[in-house]
Amino acid sequence: MITDSSESNTVALVGNPNAGKTTIFNALTGQSQKVGNYSGVTVSEKSGKFHTPDGRKMNLIDLPGCLSLTPVSVDEKIAASVLMGSQAGEKVPDVVVCVVDASSLERQLRLVLEVIELGLPTVLALNMVDMAESGGVRLDTALLSEELGIPVVPMQANKGKGIIELKQALRMPLPALSKHHWDATYEGRMSKIGVIIEAAARRSDSDEYSHTTSDKLDSWFLHPFTGWLSFIVIMLSVFWSIFALSEAPMGMVEEAFGGLGNWVNSVMPEGDLRSLIVDGVIAGLGGTVIFLPQIMILFFFIGLMETTGYMSRAAYLMDGVMTKVGLSGRAFLPLLSSHACAIPGIMATRTIPSAKERFITILIAPWMSCSARIPVYTTLILLLLPGVSFLNKALMMLGIYSVGIITGFIAAKVLRTRIPADKEVSHFMLELPSYRAPQIGYLLRQIASRAWSFLKRAGTVILGLTILLWALQTYPKPDEGTAAAEDSALALEQSFMGMAGKTVEPVMKPLGYDWRMGTAVIASFAAREVFVSNLMITYSIEEDDDEDKMNQSLRDKLVASTWPDGRKIYTPLTILSLLVFFIYALQCLPTTVVVMRELNSKKWAIYQLVGMSAFAYVAALSVFQIGKLLGFE
Amino acid sequence: MAKETQTLTSVAAGDTWRISAFVGGECKQLREMGFCEKLKVTKLSNGRNIICFTCGTKLVLNRKLADQVLVIPV
Repeated sequence: MITDSSESNTVALVGNPNAGKTTIFNALTGQSQKVGNYSGVTVSEKSGKFHTPDGRKMNLIDLPGCLSLTPVSVDEKIAASVLMGSQAGEKVPDVVVCVVDASSLERQLRLVLEVIELGLPTVLALNMVDMAESGGVRLDTALLSEELGIPVVPMQANKGKGIIELKQALRMPLPALSKHHWDATYEGRMSKIGVIIEAAARRSDSDEYSHTTSDKLDSWFLHPFTGWLSFIVIMLSVFWSIFALSEAPMGMVEEAFGGLGNWVNSVMPEGDLRSLIVDGVIAGLGGTVIFLPQIMILFFFIGLMETTGYMSRAAYLMDGVMTKVGLSGRAFLPLLSSHACAIPGIMATRTIPSAKERFITILIAPWMSCSARIPVYTTLILLLLPGVSFLNKALMMLGIYSVGIITGFIAAKVLRTRIPADKEVSHFMLELPSYRAPQIGYLLRQIASRAWSFLKRAGTVILGLTILLWALQTYPKPDEGTAAAEDSALALEQSFMGMAGKTVEPVMKPLGYDWRMGTAVIASFAAREVFVSNLMITYSIEEDDDEDKMNQSLRDKLVASTWPDGRKIYTPLTILSLLVFFIYALQCLPTTVVVMRELNSKKWAIYQLVGMSAFAYVAALSVFQIGKLLGFE
Repeated sequence: MAKETQTLTSVAAGDTWRISAFVGGECKQLREMGFCEKLKVTKLSNGRNIICFTCGTKLVLNRKLADQVLVIPV
């Protein structure tokens, strides 16, 4: 497998979940990593490059975590097929680094033996040696290497220890194949592992369970009462932070865009180009990018829960609730991730062994309100509850999120009875890793990566849409001397957007929306983020340095808007109807594409898209019409 | 402490036992997680899901799975 020295070699990282593969991957590749997809399946391929001490460039791929090469879940199948050379578009790696948690060798050596049996050059990265030794495991890495016939590198990857030694082990010539052989059956491997452990990783007599700091924390976080209390407080804190901590940075973004608009107004002559830039691009993009701080805060807290080990505890707590609706605690992480974005959430369902549970989780994931809805929710909450405290806004936001979650759970309970049972029963099992201090560097890199993805999307898809929306709102221009030439509101009605809006108004009116809100709702099917941008364009709000005045102006316009008979359009009931619509509508075509691939079914993806949209319409209609009947306005 | 074989579900929390065998149809899932005969296991809590400690790792097992793990005194 040794290639020409002028070509890079490929190193694959493989190991059990929580063994530290990602930490080692980040330490080796630093900023050079990128995320792509394996062909044919939406499974993330994380790859990067690093240099060995002799200057050779190596490609590094981080395979999904797997317990063995007899895969159960989708991502385990990917890992196995890459190593066996059967994954389309992927060549067999030249070297495999098996990452193992040294404190749990008895459980994790099986994967190492299976990799060696493939006949690939292998290096064992023996991670978390500090925890193994403090747990009473007497490690002899030289003997371990001798027993396995491969290089063994002791590491503490979270502290950067062993990284250089690992690079040394990967320099040319590549490691030789192991010359050791054993019976490649389950019993044969377990027998070999027993010999290895006895020789090189014995547990002392004091390896009995002892109460650690993690256990003290678990006595609180896993307690039936304090565990749930902590969970609710943590979730509430996340939502409070989304509002409270984002106010200052959002103000800065707003000022920046406002200042940019004013500058363009001052240097460019009046005309369509200036209007495009100021009223289209700057107003439209500003209306989306302003919510970047909130989205970053959300990603930060989700990442914090993952890296500290709290996420597993939350999954344990949620298992009881989720079992009642036909799911398990394993569905918790994908559904929680869907609150950031449904796409990685749906991809995370690959770790669910039960096909039935995975299918249901994918179908309900879009009802976990994603970060793209934050601009919509925030705008509508401010309209509905002007001037209230951060806590009340947070509670309202929590309520909105809860509506989506509860509806999703009810749908799961209904679907459970209609979908055939799995051929193989799968029970809830979960590892509870020790609590760890958050890896701030890793967290910040993740947030930066997400922020960049958001800005790229804003600069491409959203920018394209705002330009289109501006053009639809501006053209055709009214003739000189007509009433519309002097009245921008009338000109808007006669534009392409106005005509389209008037056409769909009969469909939107029963929900309480006029044609302007109707066009904003329809435009948001392309991207939810443009909802607010479209409102701003549609109401022809002029950019103003004073944020309160600008918001006041939008709020005033909406509150003052009336139907031809003089009734107010944007009452609290209308706002509620809008909120309900956005909670339930699936307005994300990329999600539909991912669902199509993950379920390998166009039919179910389309059912989901059409079904959720219809449900959103009926729900919003019900809220408005029933509210009206009850005398609410 | 009883000397006969018991299921992991039935033993008291806080005691350490040794896995003697797996019974039932879902043993493969247990083996995938690294459970095997002769390993020591300490049961930490009871409940709908059982928390146990083995080989330096804390694991949560559904009761139905734990019912398939037979243990003997260490």
